[in-house]
Amino acid sequence: MSAIFPGADWLQAFEQKLNTDERYGQIASKWEGDMYFIIEPEGNLKSQTVMYLDLWHGKCRGSEIVADITSHNPAFTLKAGYVNFARVLKGELDPMQAMLTRKLDVKGNMAVMMRNVPTVLDFVRCAREITTETL
Amino acid sequence: MQPILKINLSSREIETFTIPPAWERDYLGGSSLAARILWDTLALSLDPLSAAAPLLILNGPLSGTAGPTVGRFVVCGKSPATGLWAESNCGGFFGPELRQAGYDGIWLTGKADKPVYLWIHDRNIEIRPAESLWGLDTYQLQDAINDEIKRQEEQETGQPENRKTGIRVLGIGPAGEAQIPYALLLCDHGRVAGRTGLGAVMGSKNVKAVAVRGTGKVPVFDPAAYAPLRSAANLALKSDPMTSVMSSLGSAGAADYFNYLGEQPKKYFSAGTLEDADKISGASIAETILVGKTACHSCVIACGRVVRLDDGAKRKGPEYETLVGFGPNLGLTDPVTATRLGELCDRYGVDVISMSGTIGLAFRLYELGFIGTKDTGGLDLSWGNAAAAESCIHLALKREGFGQILSKGAKALAEHFGAPGEAIQVNGLELAYHDPRGASGMAIVYATSPRGGCHNQSDYFLADIGQVDASLGLEFFDRHAGAEKAANVAKHQDFRTVNNALVLCVFANVPPETMLELVNAACGYDLTLEDFLRCGERAWNLKRLINLKLGLTRAGDTLPAPLLRTLEDGGAAGYVIPFDKMMAAYYTARNWDANSGKPNSNKLSELGILGLAQEAGL
Repeated sequence: MSAIFPGADWLQAFEQKLNTDERYGQIASKWEGDMYFIIEPEGNLKSQTVMYLDLWHGKCRGSEIVADITSHNPAFTLKAGYVNFARVLKGELDPMQAMLTRKLDVKGNMAVMMRNVPTVLDFVRCAREITTETL
Repeated sequence: MQPILKINLSSREIETFTIPPAWERDYLGGSSLAARILWDTLALSLDPLSAAAPLLILNGPLSGTAGPTVGRFVVCGKSPATGLWAESNCGGFFGPELRQAGYDGIWLTGKADKPVYLWIHDRNIEIRPAESLWGLDTYQLQDAINDEIKRQEEQETGQPENRKTGIRVLGIGPAGEAQIPYALLLCDHGRVAGRTGLGAVMGSKNVKAVAVRGTGKVPVFDPAAYAPLRSAANLALKSDPMTSVMSSLGSAGAADYFNYLGEQPKKYFSAGTLEDADKISGASIAETILVGKTACHSCVIACGRVVRLDDGAKRKGPEYETLVGFGPNLGLTDPVTATRLGELCDRYGVDVISMSGTIGLAFRLYELGFIGTKDTGGLDLSWGNAAAAESCIHLALKREGFGQILSKGAKALAEHFGAPGEAIQVNGLELAYHDPRGASGMAIVYATSPRGGCHNQSDYFLADIGQVDASLGLEFFDRHAGAEKAANVAKHQDFRTVNNALVLCVFANVPPETMLELVNAACGYDLTLEDFLRCGERAWNLKRLINLKLGLTRAGDTLPAPLLRTLEDGGAAGYVIPFDKMMAAYYTARNWDANSGKPNSNKLSELGILGLAQEAGL
């Protein structure tokens, strides 16, 4: 399947990957928390795109591209411009580096986030592995 | 900057020292400027605990201006622990209060014939008797001085003194009085100038404390330009993800991650994993004993922890170094124990890194068979024995029995028991709890820090996980990269030297461009980022020259042997630091001679300090 980021096909492929990847399932077995990806228009992305992922105990229970940002109140929000999201997915930007250099804004319970950095890093690995193209 | 108050405690002469404007511009402030001011004074033959030794407390050009985490000050001199350059910066409110009193520094020389404390209220200076204060711990001391001054003012005015506080006390505990070589200075809610033993220097001068109250305005060159910059910088800092981590979880916010990376030491750097190590983190504290937070002057982060233990009392919670030093370092995983042992160190007035590092070494030597119960007075120094660790603190501070050798620090302890290579120290200073096998840049940082094994001259462990500002030309290298990152480390050191000149908290993720704008507005400069880094590089090289004057040689640029061996498990398992290659690349990047470790003449000339080197015969 062609998985161009960001888009419905990419999100579907990502959900499938998270639900079938054995390593992610193990590492994220204690993770409880849904998430927004808020991708701000930049480069070839002309309007804001918001993706929702419901992550629970190593599985993705659902995902959607959200038209109304108020439709969910997720535990975590990751927000960045399109270019930096794409660089993370292409392996050009380390996700921790993105956060520490103010390229990626993270909102949510930081205790949970810092307790689960390995989960976050493996989550990014899965996203990278299904990303075939960016805009 | 404002004048420095210069006090000769032997003669009780008080004068002011005006900082030459060229020095201010070349060194900015803080420890960089202190190095220039003390250059002439520091010599190999100078006993750091003698009357002739200086103790310089200094602000930065932004101290007290309510900029982003700039309410700090630094204490400098010659270290009784290392014999080398000493600096240790500190938060709280003392520095801004001193600025408001009209001074940007206090330069102590000489020795009082009896214990004294200094009372500086605006431009009024008093040297007061402190015999009744001698022996008090660092928190009792603050209360006693506040009470004394309040009582006196009530008597003078005939009115009850309703001021909540308004007096800031920087003082020493019994450890400083006893001149323990790793004694600290403490102010406010447990904010410390902890490293390099400057509390002992203050104690050697018979000075128990400096109390300050200032009511004046903090000078800013262009207030109209500065105010909006400051507000914007604080707002940006407040919304930074790192701030969010530090604010909600304290300085141990990343402890879980460091544990995962194998960067958090276990059992005195001898193990890569420890069961229940995840109980030692900012998140763990937040989930169990945390009841509040504290902040230094005008800080939007508030990394200070307030915890409540079984006795019901609120107290300072442990930051990262205390949590690990009195945690996994000793085979312990209980935040309550770390809190209690950290508080004990604060009250006695000793540096938690040096104290816990020395005790960690004792535990390790016990495990290896260099020490037995006949040496310890019966103490069982097995990993995880919290009661034994507490006994070690008491014994060291009283210099009783086994404590006599503990009181001298890790290097002396290891030498005493015939295992000099086992001490995790560089040039006499015990390393902080960031294992360079988990973040290799720290290998160079520890080996070349101007104050010994220190993590605050460059917190490269953060650069090794991605905190690198491209505007400075810094790059992101893999945490296990080798010589290729040496030039990057040097540049990061220069940048953090600027931080330490501004006495900016390292926990603040402030963009360098923002810092530059603030400095230019506050001081009336037109510096560029390149100038900024040059100021850092100049000070780094000047401190190198000071240490060469004080007897440092190339052989001092080293790492303890245990860190050059591999760990068997954990996130850094199997990794060998390519130390020699990294150091060779570092000398090239620094333009230092690889054999002597001395900065080359053309580098010193470029930085404008060749003349100083020549006059010192270097």
